[in-house]
Amino acid sequence: MRWKPRFRWAVPLLLAGLVVGLWTEDAAAQDAGNLYDTGVDRRMGEGHFQRRCSRCHGQDAKGNDETGAPDLTGRLSNANTRVGIFRIIRDGIAGTAMLPISDETPDPNVWQLVTYIESLRTDPANINLPGSASSGRQVYDGKGECASCHMVNGTGGRPGPDLSRVGERRDPDELKTDLTDPDKDLAPRWWTMRVTRQDGSVVQGLRMNEDTFTLRIIDDDDNLWSFVKKDIRSYDRIQDSTMPNYGPTLSASDIDDLVAYLFSLRKES
Amino acid sequence: MKRLAILVLVLASGTLVLGQDDTPRTGSSTPAFSPVTWDRLVNAADEPENWLMYSGTLDSQRFSRLDQINAGNVDDLELKWAYQIPQIDRAETVPLVVDGIMFVTEAPSNVVALDAATGRQYWRYNHELPDDLRLCCGRNNRGVAILGETLYMSTLDAQLAAIDARTGNLRWVTQVAPYQSGYSKTAAPLIVKDRVVTGIAGGEYGIRGFVDAYNPETGALDWRTDTIPGPDNPDVKTWAGESWRTGGSASWITGAYDPDLDLVYWGTGNPGPDWNGDVRLGDNLYSDSVLALDGTSGNMDWYFQFTPHDVHDWDAIQVPILADIEHEGTTRKVMMFANRNAFYYTLDRETGEFLVGKPYAKQTWAEGLDENGRPIRLPDTFPTEEGVVVSPSVGGGTNWWSPAYSPQTGLFYVNAYDGEDRYFKRDEDYLEGENFMGGGGVRVGPSETYQSAIRAIDPATGDRKWEFPIQPRSTAGITTTAGNLVFSGSVDGYFFALNAETGEELWHMSVGQRVHAAPMTYAVDGKQYVTIAAGNVIFTFGLRD
Repeated sequence: MRWKPRFRWAVPLLLAGLVVGLWTEDAAAQDAGNLYDTGVDRRMGEGHFQRRCSRCHGQDAKGNDETGAPDLTGRLSNANTRVGIFRIIRDGIAGTAMLPISDETPDPNVWQLVTYIESLRTDPANINLPGSASSGRQVYDGKGECASCHMVNGTGGRPGPDLSRVGERRDPDELKTDLTDPDKDLAPRWWTMRVTRQDGSVVQGLRMNEDTFTLRIIDDDDNLWSFVKKDIRSYDRIQDSTMPNYGPTLSASDIDDLVAYLFSLRKES
Repeated sequence: MKRLAILVLVLASGTLVLGQDDTPRTGSSTPAFSPVTWDRLVNAADEPENWLMYSGTLDSQRFSRLDQINAGNVDDLELKWAYQIPQIDRAETVPLVVDGIMFVTEAPSNVVALDAATGRQYWRYNHELPDDLRLCCGRNNRGVAILGETLYMSTLDAQLAAIDARTGNLRWVTQVAPYQSGYSKTAAPLIVKDRVVTGIAGGEYGIRGFVDAYNPETGALDWRTDTIPGPDNPDVKTWAGESWRTGGSASWITGAYDPDLDLVYWGTGNPGPDWNGDVRLGDNLYSDSVLALDGTSGNMDWYFQFTPHDVHDWDAIQVPILADIEHEGTTRKVMMFANRNAFYYTLDRETGEFLVGKPYAKQTWAEGLDENGRPIRLPDTFPTEEGVVVSPSVGGGTNWWSPAYSPQTGLFYVNAYDGEDRYFKRDEDYLEGENFMGGGGVRVGPSETYQSAIRAIDPATGDRKWEFPIQPRSTAGITTTAGNLVFSGSVDGYFFALNAETGEELWHMSVGQRVHAAPMTYAVDGKQYVTIAAGNVIFTFGLRD
């Protein structure tokens, strides 16, 4: 590894933070990364990303199931600090397709990349939402009846996505759309499958998994079903969400509050 | 020297070492492995117990005459052995089998020799790699070539390595191109007479592509044919200004060869930068083309460009399939080519004449093909800064996944995808060793919302005869057999067999991880096996004992 002279100091800093443990990674990251986290750095970082990273991670950084490159717009699975992101970009991940960035890429450019990647996640500290999270919690548990279909930290119903960390993967605008236009951008996991068996009986449930030869669903009574496609008469995909549109039933302020509550749901909360 | 002398003698005499008897060599009854002469490679179809090259035979049909496993008993297949590749990556390899020994390449650039009947190891060769590789698309290796007693392997640091097939010892290694500039190598070479023909990867790094032929004994370069014309070639005018210097046109998959015509056929990749054609106005020859090269000199006999001035990254990196078929009442020597741009083509392989062309997957970029096979482009399909939605997707109607052709059914089989992407362009300067793409593509919807299928095409008409839907999609190659079978796999982790005439599903096995490679089949001690790489594992199946 070749470090540029200007950043040689970062080596002992990183080692101190990572190995000795006197500094936390966060402390080291703040000291190092803050030098390159302006708006200009973010734009520069985006340029570096498009050139060096987008082929695998996608132009929108949302990953690519063909290359196996992960989505970088939510919580990162291999790093959760600036130093961690820097280290992965610099060193790669051994034994995977994540190669180290070129030694000839200066450290400041790597930090700009870090800044850009971090910017892809919405930091709640930087956002002033119109709603109140505590009021949103009341809507969630009360007239929204959200808990009948969703779990938060192990409590709630099963038919909908677990929302314990939904604030890490959905930004406030996306959450509002989820509440008021639930069919938009519905992931295939939440399609409904209607299966007609050979005897004509019908089983319907949410699409947990489907492949070329089989499919698996969970029905309204939380029963798990697995079918071999050639053993059933037919199956239909219903690509509409089972979640109600809350636009007509909740007030605008209720929805704002609910968005604030959902956006607060993250690992730290 | 003694071994070399024997090899030269064998090559010169053209002795069919295995062909002298019908008993496949194994390690127990007779010594495993015997030298692979050029005659054996020319007549590889006559010894179907072996799989002697990446696509099985020089015509790349991926058709095996083995029929012990057939449409009537394929549901009796069971797992015989599995080999775990120690590197965590995506296996894209097609093993070779020579007289009971299987040669398997692994990520990043390693090869092992296994007993083909048991999956147990003879030897291993680990290629030492630098830690500053430039790779667009993962640490892949797709297979080796063999001539005599030597294996030839591409490496990620753009080297060609010659490895002793009996021991795994390195015989020689030659640097094909500087990896620091973005060149790399992933595809299996192709033996053409007494030369090792091989391509190059790096089309996303502003390289200038070529096809090379090397001396199998010394590693010396015999000929190089550039896939982008230089200043001494009038076709350089198809590149604006100096853009030919960084125009890509890589050659990153294995080609085919016709011994009668002495022509090597090789596909070329996208022009660079991939998505911003503004800096390289013109047709950008010979990118996105198939080249017919003289097997002795490497001189270009003809070329056919599928996508002039490509701005969607639709490489013509598909394996050309050669066959003689009836077309409009006459027997023609043809090439079949299902292109990434979603059109299927049948070409006359002697002349390059366009015979047939039809979409085999969803496409929204061309009104059709003209009488010469040139696409008639639709307006507003070039990438923009805001993005424009076009089919097929960046990954294409198909990609490098090997198609197959059965002379029994007369059908061409291809894995097709009816996807779409939003295409963007951006300004980007060339920097040596850095990505040079000028844009990209973004998914519009999840892959589950698009159609994916194995499609059987009549090469005389381009018409679809059947399709087998796949959910969500496939990125695997295909192999077909005299047992009336089509084998392939899918990203949902299945390996399966279809009826080659009808497309009916006959057997499937969950192998637990994405199948990204092509199957192959062979026999040892009279028993047929079929092998597929899935995830990081080589699975081998045979009929129940």
